[in-house]
Order: sequence, then structure tokens, then C-alpha cells
Amino acid sequence: MSDFKFKIPKHLEVPMGAVIPAPVKENPGMITGNWRTERPVIDHEACTLCLNCFIFCPDACWHLDEKTEKMMWNARYCKGCMICVNECPADCLTPQNELDFPKGVVRLDKPF
Amino acid sequence: MAKEVFYSGCAAAAYGAKFSRVEVISSYPIRPYTGIMMELSKLVANGDLDAEFVHGEGEHAQVSIAYGASAAGARAYTGSSGVGVTYAMECYSPAAGGRLPCQMAIADRALDPPGDFGSEHTDVMSARDQGWIMGWAETPQEVFDNTIMYYRIGEDPRVMLPQFCCQDGYFVSHIPGKVILPDQKAVDEYLPPYNNPHPLDPTRPVSHGPQIFPDQGPAIDLQRAQAFLDTPKVIAEAVKDFNKQFGRKYSPFVEEYMTDDADIAFFIMGGHARTARFAVNHLRKKGVKAGMVKLRFVRPWPTEAVAEALSKFKAVGTIETSTSYGGAMRGGNLIHEVRASLYDLPKRPAVTSFMAGLGGEVVTLNEFYEMAKILTEAAKSGKVKKGVYWLGFEPD
Repeated sequence: MSDFKFKIPKHLEVPMGAVIPAPVKENPGMITGNWRTERPVIDHEACTLCLNCFIFCPDACWHLDEKTEKMMWNARYCKGCMICVNECPADCLTPQNELDFPKGVVRLDKPF
Repeated sequence: MAKEVFYSGCAAAAYGAKFSRVEVISSYPIRPYTGIMMELSKLVANGDLDAEFVHGEGEHAQVSIAYGASAAGARAYTGSSGVGVTYAMECYSPAAGGRLPCQMAIADRALDPPGDFGSEHTDVMSARDQGWIMGWAETPQEVFDNTIMYYRIGEDPRVMLPQFCCQDGYFVSHIPGKVILPDQKAVDEYLPPYNNPHPLDPTRPVSHGPQIFPDQGPAIDLQRAQAFLDTPKVIAEAVKDFNKQFGRKYSPFVEEYMTDDADIAFFIMGGHARTARFAVNHLRKKGVKAGMVKLRFVRPWPTEAVAEALSKFKAVGTIETSTSYGGAMRGGNLIHEVRASLYDLPKRPAVTSFMAGLGGEVVTLNEFYEMAKILTEAAKSGKVKKGVYWLGFEPD
């Protein structure tokens, strides 16, 4: 039995356990921010750069821009779960409806 | 130095984990397996075991923690019983598909309804097709030994699969028996540290469990199937090395008891095998040529070993401690695989099954004598009257 080997065509090969190098960058073929009905809006003055939002965001949509020393939000992947708003100790994040934005995802014919 | 102790199956599993030097343990209480975590938490609290002890908020979280830890490169240990095992069902396939060799100790328990604490194999048998290595132990000593052996098998680079290390709830998990604890150094020689070839590591980022295209689905399933084809060879090696290192006498897949000249045989796994041995002894005294074949691995199913062991009998009865409602034989699970294993043989025994030990009832010696009567009749006539007998519940 153990001498038997399956033949898998090369183009269908997947690494063991399907473990692949992390994309690190975004995948333009898989934009998921268009599920959102509201978004977190940041008050940069009040932000203490504690990085809670960065740590808690399940979609890695917050990162610290080291040049401007500001937390940057990624509109293409944020699904509006508002975990960051909940976790912000400085109360500098506010949920705001997508309808309030002229280019909010709900207003776009073809989001992104 | 090796020393002899008197441990329940739960304590034996905990000490098996300790000797395997597990690094992450995730727990959530449900009896009877809880005894394992009680023992381990003591070992960690007393500083006897250097491991991260994490409390899951349920069994689903518990298994997720274990395979997450395994993905990060730690030897991970968890466990459950009964409905806890089925509650975590979603997590089994990702752990196996991700090829993460964590171990889950199972002290089995009947599923609800309405609520039964007894031992029954159905809980984890429902997860047998998820890609985990799986087998039952008969004694606390075998629980201890299997814990160490399973890590060695599962973490082998040719295998890389998680393992269900099972024991019967109460019958094994809560009845103490003699356990020989080996020298830690001997275990370290037998079981090298776990080496995950692609751990989660911020300096070398990887994605585990990414989205794949449907066309790649069969390819990745074939990989897992291949791993299971390669596993029996690894098991044979691991068991042989274990016997050599610790002076035990395990057969890798099926253990035979008094089978040399036997006409009829009980095919059984787990704690009830102990009763079956006594039954065979008594039957022999009465002149019945009975034997017992004990299954050590349900997954990978040892097709050849089962066929070889059973082909010499005239009649075989599988002792089913799990249910397959509406299945081909209208009873348990083992008979399906036993009959399939024998199908290609030119000469095969008559095979029937006995539903026994469901809900945790004791399988008594009288039940085994009853089975022997049915099997002797089948051996004479060369065929079975029925595919399944619900012993004690049969119409007269």
C-alpha cells in the first residue's frame, strides 16, 4: 500500500499544508472592504499612538506611518467591525455611516 | 531510572504528555477527560513541567489554540470527551489539512441525549474521517505509551498529522493500573524535538490556510491521502523502536490473543479488550476455540494487517462500541471496515457485529459467552444469520 504514490499535475501542486509565503502586500484580486456599512474615523489630535487598533484589527487595516507619525486606515479591507473603536483607550475613533461620505462604498456602482 | 506507579488512564495521559515535553496545553473542562488536565495543571503549577497552560473558552477554541500553537512550532496538547469532541468538529480538518501534528487526548463519553457520562466510542469515531491519526488504548500503560508514540508518528516529516490518542472513559480513564514510567532521557532519545518546517514567524512571514482555487482542492486532498498511505510504515518503525527502547511488546496494528488455533474471534478495541481476554480464557477452558484480535489504530485503518489476522478464522464478531445509525450493517462502524478489508480474500470468515457497551454499559463476561455461541454457530454453518446483534435486546 505504501509504495503507491499519487501523481499530481505540476500546475495543481500545493505546498505541504498549503503554507505559502505571506503576501505582505495587498492582493488586488481580493478586495473585501466593500462589505462595510460604517467606518472608523480617527481624530489624529486625540490619538496617543498606543497601537491598540493595530493589534486588535482582525484585517490588519491600521498601520503607523512612521514619517507622519499618524495611524493610517486601509479603506480597501476594513469591513467596519468597529473592534478598533471599542478598543481605543483615547476615544479618538468614531464610527460613521458610509452614507455620510460622497465616495462611501454604498454609493459606488462598482465599489473599488 | 524507570519506576513503577499506579495511575488512572487520565494520570497516565498527563504523564505521557509531561514525558513528551509538551510546550502548550489548552484545556476546557468536561468529564471524564478533565482528570488529564487536572493532573497537568498540577504539574505546571508545581514547576515540574515547563509549558504554557491556556484555558479555552470552549472546545472549539481549545483545539484552535492547540493547532495554532503547533503552527507556531510548539508541541501542543489538548483533549476532550463526548459532546466536547463534537463541538470542536470544525477545527479537525484545518489542523489535519494544515499538517499540524498536535495531539488530542480523548477519554470517550456517550453523546447526548439526554446526558450520559458513560464511555462510548461514538464521539470521536464521528471525527474519524477528518484526517487525524486515531487509536484506542486498553490500559493506563498503553495510554502513557501511545501518547509518546503518537507524537513520534505524527511529527515524522513523512506524516505531519494530528493525533487522537483515545481511551475508554471511566473503564480506562478512571481505573488505576500499573504504569512503568521510563527514564526521561530514554524518552528524549526516542522522541526528538518537534520541528515545524514552516512555523509562524514574524521574520519569515507565511500564510497558513490560505484560499485556494477549486482545481487545487483535489491536489491538496491527495497530499493528505498520500500522508496516510505513508503513515503505516512510520507506525511500524515507531512501534518497533518503542519496543526496543522501553522493552514493551506492542504489535503495530493488531494484537492477537490466543488466535493460533482459534475458530472464532472477537475483534475489539479499547478497554473492553481486557474483559475479552478473560472471556477467551474461560471459553478455552470449556473447550471453545476462541481468540481475540485487538485493533490499535482506526486511522490509518490497517487493511492488510486486519485481513491477515482475520483470514484464519471461521467466524469473527466485531464488538461495536460506537453507532452508525442507518449504516450498511445497521449497527456499528468497525464491521464496515472489517468486511471491506476481507472482501478481496479468496477465503474469508463469516463476519457479524455485536452492539455492546453503548452508553457506557459494562460488557460482561456473559455477553461475550453469548457472542461466542452465535459465532460458533456461524463457524459451523459458514455464514451469519444477521449482520448485527443488539445483545440483551434481541427478540427470543
